[in-house]
Amino acid sequence: MIGPEFPDVLGAAARGDDDAFGRLWRDLQPRLLRYFAVVSKAAAEDLASETWLGVVRGLDRFQGNEPAFRAWVFTIARHEVLDWRRRAARRVTEDLPANGLVEQVAPDDPAADALEGFSTRAALAEVATLPADQAEAIVLRVVAGLGVDRVAEIMGKRPGTVRVLTHRGLRRLAERLGDGGRMRRVV
Amino acid sequence: MDARDASSAEMRRPNPNHDTDPMALDEETVEELLTGALSPPQVPAGYAQVAQLLAAAAAAPTPEELAGQGAVLAELRAVARARSAAALAAGGRARPPRRRRRGLAVAIVVGALATGGVAGAATGHLPGPVRDAARTITGAGTGTPASPTASPASASATGNPSAGGEGATASRPGGAPGSGPGPGSAAAGPAAGPALEGLCNAYAAGSGAERGGKLDATAFEDLARAAGGEERVAAFCEELLPGDQQLLKKPKQPKPPEHPSPSGSGGQGQGQGGPPASSGGGGSQGQGGPSAEDQPHP
Repeated sequence: MIGPEFPDVLGAAARGDDDAFGRLWRDLQPRLLRYFAVVSKAAAEDLASETWLGVVRGLDRFQGNEPAFRAWVFTIARHEVLDWRRRAARRVTEDLPANGLVEQVAPDDPAADALEGFSTRAALAEVATLPADQAEAIVLRVVAGLGVDRVAEIMGKRPGTVRVLTHRGLRRLAERLGDGGRMRRVV
Repeated sequence: MDARDASSAEMRRPNPNHDTDPMALDEETVEELLTGALSPPQVPAGYAQVAQLLAAAAAAPTPEELAGQGAVLAELRAVARARSAAALAAGGRARPPRRRRRGLAVAIVVGALATGGVAGAATGHLPGPVRDAARTITGAGTGTPASPTASPASASATGNPSAGGEGATASRPGGAPGSGPGPGSAAAGPAAGPALEGLCNAYAAGSGAERGGKLDATAFEDLARAAGGEERVAAFCEELLPGDQQLLKKPKQPKPPEHPSPSGSGGQGQGQGGPPASSGGGGSQGQGGPSAEDQPHP
């Protein structure tokens, strides 16, 4: 979050100012990587760089405040994921059953990470075990820091649907983990 | 509104005195969990692990996550220079080396990512202030101060677009058939001249050729005027530019469906939590107020 300086930072970044763009990048790159880690782990870094190419090219025409900017960046990110899945589908169209093509990449085994406690990586892997819609809704809310309505726009769903998805996802996580469940508490 | 729905009424805080589902949450609690607003004693029974997991997911960035900034900065510089070069050369025939640059930039980004895993090495390519910030974060003491232009990525990525873009025309794939000395002004009407062509080039150098893009630079207002409106710039430029520069059908540029329009400009619409009077749960719904958009909680 950049805050009140955001309009100035955005304007300077759009004019090619390295420092200003660096602030945008440092704020959003970790969030993008975590989003991709949940929705498309195998290609996370490629997708992040493709997303930034799109951001750089559209930067001088973006209009809006910081939440809108963040939502715009994640809209680009989601398009990159969908593109990547389509390309992947073409590449392996004869090797995989059709219904497996748009599924998430299998996450790392969360249990292995869980032994070390809730690292960010373990937490993301755990979220990635949820049904795809629930995982994406949660990661956009928590990691991207977007509100319900913006997540709904990005995912092409109604806000009420996003609320239900996040609620179900949280509940499912709670059932998986339990209080004092198999994942060790790290205080 | 939702708060009064029957479906929402089912989502109550866990209440041991009722037979209701002990794991169900009300909307407000879901919101507080998602935004990390609950202290441990406030977390509903059964959700302590979830709260910790969400906090870990939103934890402060790691050095690994912040490696690789140099590559994207190089791309930014390339785009910015192409843009300003096109604007400055609006009276001439300069064409931004767009296609070549994209291929190069992708290669550079991929290359940088391949080597960017070592935070210390990555910081060596960062411009001063950014490098300092990265060094602060990573604790890496890079002894080789690199000026922004000293980065090999930026040097090869930007080329020298202000020199007339000769490299671009030389390497543009399949550009020969349609690329004459420029569009005849007759084709585009009396208002279209080299200056407008330059503006169109600048316009096309970014991603603004996509629908919904908005020209905001003062210079581009001329272009919008000549085109008969901002929304007609894309079609106008498509006519004006030679065939090999018709950039409206960019293959990969995503078109955000909600790309902020001049009037919508993000926040004022539904995105900001809607009308306070009807949002029921107040700040915790919708956009969620400052905390919902805030930095990941530590």
